[in-house]
Amino acid sequence: MTKTIAPDAEVLIDAREVSKRYPNGTQALTKVSLQVRRGEVVCIVGPSGSGKSTLLRTINAMESISSGEVTMDGISVHHPKTNLNEVRTHAGMVFQQFNLFPHKTALENVMLAPMQVLKMPVEEARERAGKLLEKVGLAEKAQSRPSQLSGGQQQRVAIARALAMQPRVMLFDEPTSALDPEKVGEVLEVMKQLALEGMTMVVVTHEMGFARAVANRVVFMDGGELVYQDAPEAFFSNAQHERLRSFLGQVLPH
Amino acid sequence: MRPANPAWRLLTVALVLLIGAGLYWATIKVNYQWRWDRVPEYLLITGGEDVLSPVDGTVAVQGKQITLTPLLGGEPQTFPEIDVVQVSDGEIVFANNTLGKKSGVTPGPLLVGLWVTLQISAWSLVFALILGLIAGLGRVSANPAARDMAAIYVELIRGTPLLVQMFIVYFFLGTVLNLSGFVAGVAALSVFTGAYVAEIIRSGIEGVAKGQMEAARSLGMSHWQAMRHIVLPQAFRRSLPPLAGQSINLIKDSSLVSIMALTDLTKAGREIVASTFSPFEVWFTVALMYLLLTGLLSIYVRKLEKKMAHD
Repeated sequence: MTKTIAPDAEVLIDAREVSKRYPNGTQALTKVSLQVRRGEVVCIVGPSGSGKSTLLRTINAMESISSGEVTMDGISVHHPKTNLNEVRTHAGMVFQQFNLFPHKTALENVMLAPMQVLKMPVEEARERAGKLLEKVGLAEKAQSRPSQLSGGQQQRVAIARALAMQPRVMLFDEPTSALDPEKVGEVLEVMKQLALEGMTMVVVTHEMGFARAVANRVVFMDGGELVYQDAPEAFFSNAQHERLRSFLGQVLPH
Repeated sequence: MRPANPAWRLLTVALVLLIGAGLYWATIKVNYQWRWDRVPEYLLITGGEDVLSPVDGTVAVQGKQITLTPLLGGEPQTFPEIDVVQVSDGEIVFANNTLGKKSGVTPGPLLVGLWVTLQISAWSLVFALILGLIAGLGRVSANPAARDMAAIYVELIRGTPLLVQMFIVYFFLGTVLNLSGFVAGVAALSVFTGAYVAEIIRSGIEGVAKGQMEAARSLGMSHWQAMRHIVLPQAFRRSLPPLAGQSINLIKDSSLVSIMALTDLTKAGREIVASTFSPFEVWFTVALMYLLLTGLLSIYVRKLEKKMAHD
């Protein structure tokens, strides 16, 4: 199931000793280092408040950092001179709450960024958006507004919207946490398809089944620290680490 | 809700009639002469309109057209379509002499005033929306200077009476910059209403979910692109009902421009009262005309709100 990636694949995302401290003194991240190679699927798991979403959001600078460095394709994301808008076009993000644009149709949601950011002609953007909606199985919903779609459908449109920029990496921030249980499968299926096509993905998730089946590597975070990371088989079967063991004990079915 | 007992409606009617009767009785006590029959001519003039000579000059008559050559030099002026010519060819007339009459129906002073009120309100609304949008964006800006400037503007304007602002604009700025009454009136009303529009727009922007801006920025859109295509369209939809309410206020506030040399509906009413001594009829009529304007607007607003609730 899990695709294999070449061990010498280049490092796409490199977070080195990233720390984040909020002005009120809360330490969200403490010296977290994470490397993601091209084509790799990395799942980040951990209890809520462990800093996994914060770490994900530092990758495309939706969240600032206090110290350390994050590079994507060798570009230092948090450097003051970096063109953030450009960096973000290379990292598609999918949110827990979908965040589709409610005043636009599904098709327009997908078309907007290529037209505005890449200055793509309307016809080309429409064609690309149509293909992407087809890919996520929603070609017939192109003219629907987000309010007319189910949660699972909205999230699939959101994935298509992020893919429209042809990103080098997809960042998923708990993409199925806000969904009704029966809608989770359709979103995970789309994500699995993406992974098999070779997309580099960083996924913050509570779906251990997905992590076990699709990820190349699973990362465990707790208390703002990266505690443990390993290939899925080793991660789930061989939990030497005590905090990981207690976490898995809580989330895995007995 | 449980349907109310219709007796309450009857009580409402009875109370309104009672208040009306009380007012009528009060006017009888002061020997007030009701002359409602004179009101229609304040609205429409059917007897024809006198055409007066604006300056001293010599007239030339060609059929229904009168050409006036000023005595003190200057361009000759023509007055076409005079139905009843009351001067003869070659005659010398003085300023304010009657040249002739135009027959047909012409708007009376109250309708002319209503038109001025409408024009002032419309222009002020346009500029208030522009000003309010700029100040509203300033209020939510990341730039402290923009934020402070917008806050100062809003607080200054909302903290002082419109009438005082009108006096300042008309008697101070108007004199310094040589503004006409119309321009001064539109300026004062726009600046005043703009401050309220700014607050409406600010709360509209703040009401749009934070995730919308985040999603747009994550796609590589600039702050301004995200504002323009994602946040503002949604903020405007939320702001429409309060903005419409503010436009109704604007129409009512425009009555204060009558302190400037500007004959709006209120000033027209005052001029008629000064010459006819029938204040009650005139002011009731003026009030009704304002009510008509604001009433039409609020019916439209209610429709708009219903439509938006469906979307």
